[in-house]
Amino acid sequence: MVRLITHNLLACHAKDCNTNNFPLQFKDVQLEIREADFNPEFLKGFMPKIEWKALVETAIQLGDTSLPLEQPEMLDEEFLKNLHHVLLEIHVEEGSMTCPNCKHVYPISNGIPNMLLAEHEIG
Amino acid sequence: MAPRALAAAKVEGDPQTYEDQNVHAVYDEIAAHFSSTRYKPWPIIANFLSSLTTGSVGLDSGTGNGKYLPLPLDRPGDVWTIGMDRSRNLLEIAKNAGSEKVMREVVWGNVLDNPWRSGIFDYAISIATIHHLATHERRRLAVKRLIQATSPSQGRLLIYVWAIEQDELSKRKVISEEEQPSANGKDVVVPWVLSKEMQSSSSPSTQKDDQPRVYNRYYHMFAKGELAGLVLEAAQELGLQVGAKPNEIGVGNLQGLEIVQDGWERSNYYVELRRWQI
Repeated sequence: MVRLITHNLLACHAKDCNTNNFPLQFKDVQLEIREADFNPEFLKGFMPKIEWKALVETAIQLGDTSLPLEQPEMLDEEFLKNLHHVLLEIHVEEGSMTCPNCKHVYPISNGIPNMLLAEHEIG
Repeated sequence: MAPRALAAAKVEGDPQTYEDQNVHAVYDEIAAHFSSTRYKPWPIIANFLSSLTTGSVGLDSGTGNGKYLPLPLDRPGDVWTIGMDRSRNLLEIAKNAGSEKVMREVVWGNVLDNPWRSGIFDYAISIATIHHLATHERRRLAVKRLIQATSPSQGRLLIYVWAIEQDELSKRKVISEEEQPSANGKDVVVPWVLSKEMQSSSSPSTQKDDQPRVYNRYYHMFAKGELAGLVLEAAQELGLQVGAKPNEIGVGNLQGLEIVQDGWERSNYYVELRRWQI
């Protein structure tokens, strides 16, 4: 699956691509919304690891504008529910992710991203 | 049934090509049958996943059918394990591991690559995977990639591989009584007998379909001490000091790796590791 929780952790790993290789840019996506169990304690623990700007901008590209541009200090229920939805309920089923630096394209098919590289592309 | 002696394997040519033919292609063929035999989590692995703090994210490198992705079962959703595997067909099963209603996160990737932000995971596990890599260097690289995927200050890791020393319940026998165990392990082929109910009608057949098909998978069976040795080599390449975190504060920018457990359980060797920095 490519939900934004995973997208926020992935980076391009093609040979010699070490800077500006995150976040990968979604293209031609098909989305599916699936409800997931809300777990605010998980979200609070995971928040320090999020690259916030990448998450917000990617969510906006996928049509969700519910998150604030800055990570808030007060974590109220409404904010956590929005974060839960963005991270765990939006599934990118088809499409691709392009590296902002080297333009390598990682295809997504049936919800599974293909992060394999050809032998000559491995660093 | 008496344990069956395993045939030795001879790795020839490009190791990547060898693994493609003798590991990845086989798992893609036997995925459904293989998965139906792999459902019970091992206690040490389940305990490791239960000990993680809420909010942790982790990598299961070589997730197979994803049987560890739903754990810990008594705290669903408290931690998120993302599964990576080289077999696309196993990932299709792993997507729904544990429940048809809950989707897991899975990524098609190679355990020798690191398609992640550096050190972003709180934990990483690699269960019964590294023994499918065909050279010592590739096995060391897999351990290195696993360490690199986790947090330099507190990353926790658990690695399991098959052992030369099989227990009395094992269906397999790796070395004969006369053979001296090598400190470098042993390359073997382990047959998988695909029951005819599990054979997909689309796969090409050179035999009659009323016969079970046999697929040979490549394994490197680990010798005692070999897994910990790989960890030491990988740590050295990464510039990590091996040992417990020192008590002094303010030594400077020092990073290390502690071997928390190093053992043998039911025909497998395992190590649990913890990263630290001061």
